[in-house]
Amino acid sequence: MTRLRPHISLLLLLLILALLPFLVGLLDGQSPASMLAGEAGRSKFIQGLMIEIFILAIYAVSYDLILGVAGILSFGHAMFFAVGAYATGILLKSAGWSLGPTLIAVVGLGLAQAILFGVVLARVSGITFALVTLGLAYVFDILIKTRELGEYTGGDVGLQGIPRPDFLNPSDERLRFYYLMLVFAALVYLLYRRFVDSPTGRVCIAARENEERARMLGFNTILFKFVALTMASISAALAGMAYALFQPIVSPEVAGLGFTVEGLLMVLMGGIGALSGPMLGAALFKFMDFYFNKWFGESASFMVGAIYVLIVLFLPYGLVGTWRMRRRDMLAGWEELLERWRKMMG
Amino acid sequence: MPAPILSLQSIHTFIGRFHILEGVSLDAPEGSITALLGRNGAGKTTTLKSILGLTPPSQGKILFNGEEIQGRRPYEIAALGIGYVPEHRAIFRDLSVYENLKIAERKKGDLERKADFIFGLFPDLKRLIHLSGANLSGGQQQMLAVARALVPDNELLLIDEPSEGLAPVIIEQMMEAIKALSAKTTVLLVEQNFLVASTLAEHYVIIEEGRTVKRGLMADLIHDEAAIHRYLGAA
Repeated sequence: MTRLRPHISLLLLLLILALLPFLVGLLDGQSPASMLAGEAGRSKFIQGLMIEIFILAIYAVSYDLILGVAGILSFGHAMFFAVGAYATGILLKSAGWSLGPTLIAVVGLGLAQAILFGVVLARVSGITFALVTLGLAYVFDILIKTRELGEYTGGDVGLQGIPRPDFLNPSDERLRFYYLMLVFAALVYLLYRRFVDSPTGRVCIAARENEERARMLGFNTILFKFVALTMASISAALAGMAYALFQPIVSPEVAGLGFTVEGLLMVLMGGIGALSGPMLGAALFKFMDFYFNKWFGESASFMVGAIYVLIVLFLPYGLVGTWRMRRRDMLAGWEELLERWRKMMG
Repeated sequence: MPAPILSLQSIHTFIGRFHILEGVSLDAPEGSITALLGRNGAGKTTTLKSILGLTPPSQGKILFNGEEIQGRRPYEIAALGIGYVPEHRAIFRDLSVYENLKIAERKKGDLERKADFIFGLFPDLKRLIHLSGANLSGGQQQMLAVARALVPDNELLLIDEPSEGLAPVIIEQMMEAIKALSAKTTVLLVEQNFLVASTLAEHYVIIEEGRTVKRGLMADLIHDEAAIHRYLGAA
């Protein structure tokens, strides 16, 4: 029980998310049997929205791992996601592979692109690295839109008609898909949390704060950053795979700079380096994107921008980041107060 | 005089196109404190950074335990057993006191083995162990920076301006700590405050405009008022 105490809020959140489809269905007057049968209703709609959030949350937290934890500024993060999405679509549709080998291939491609970025990282850093990654992502974006590869990638229109295994059909088996994505997002979070709390993760944080200082302690910081890059690349590629399995079309937009910027917004809104923050940022971003589009139509982007500016102005470290900062200051103040009291009491 | 654990033989270092070190030579005898003295901008910090490979020398030799180390990468040099306490209380502000110490371990269990010695020198750190580095005062941050360098088994410690910007009472505590740790490891100390340097060090090296101009026993320098005035501007 003592070991579980620090994870109480996470367990509570997981329990709420696990019960969410049923709670929504019951409030909507749907019977559990019809929900299990995958019948249409508010519950199924919410499941779909939440699946998108889980996928975006994995994408956002993977960006946070390299940017917020390891301090690597990359403008090519969308490519990590898009490679997973397009590889899944092409291998399932054009190559006729089954899901298992496709999964292995996506992990392999995630590793390959981490190595590609790692080779660049060993040579350049800072804004130069960011620009090189932007270039690499741009090349990938052009490639998937070329007419020559259109047969496989769908060109400008996007990749459609990806065959999905029956047990993961997002239309008939949405509840199963929902739970699978919930477990996937929770596992990615726990894995990242463990990494950040590990000695390797602490070196990444130290290198982010001052790379020279970390090297002076005897750490080859490039190797540590490469570990973070590999984890982020593989998990973003897997999120891309889930996206390809869930969405009816893999749009080339997921490979563009716009999608990288969206990831950055999710990270900044939630709190850079906070892990849970960017996941919350992804949820906020998706809800705003969906409901603002529904309520305000074309003005939705303006509203999202305005809220982003308000968050930056009033919560400069993001939602979770600012909360943690305030709590840390409160604890420090409390510690000082206790110290004064101890001194007064002799 | 004991054999030098560190020896610099006429090193030249450039930062960009600027020729900062134009022939620095020094010996740091094993088991003692050597003060590296000089006016502001003389090249003291660059000398330390050259030893660590952060600004690698283009010419000259750096011998550590008789082995040439110039041209090696900073993390390789640090792994040989050279610790560095940079100026400006260079701790990791996002990590707690415990994590700042733990990260410096070179072998598993280093911190546990040294805990009594470190917390004996800096009892405040034990009390603040779970506090974030950002919440420490200037003096506490400096203590943590020195403590961090004590965690691994370093044979040589390079300490840059440990008294800079500290209150007199903290400077005294820091001096006690440096004196105590010199019993375990050789120290090369860069210190602007001559009173602090002369109290602590047995040997000295004075550099001026990137060149070694004088070196010897601190006991002799203390009585050489002309040299102190000429090279350090102190009397």
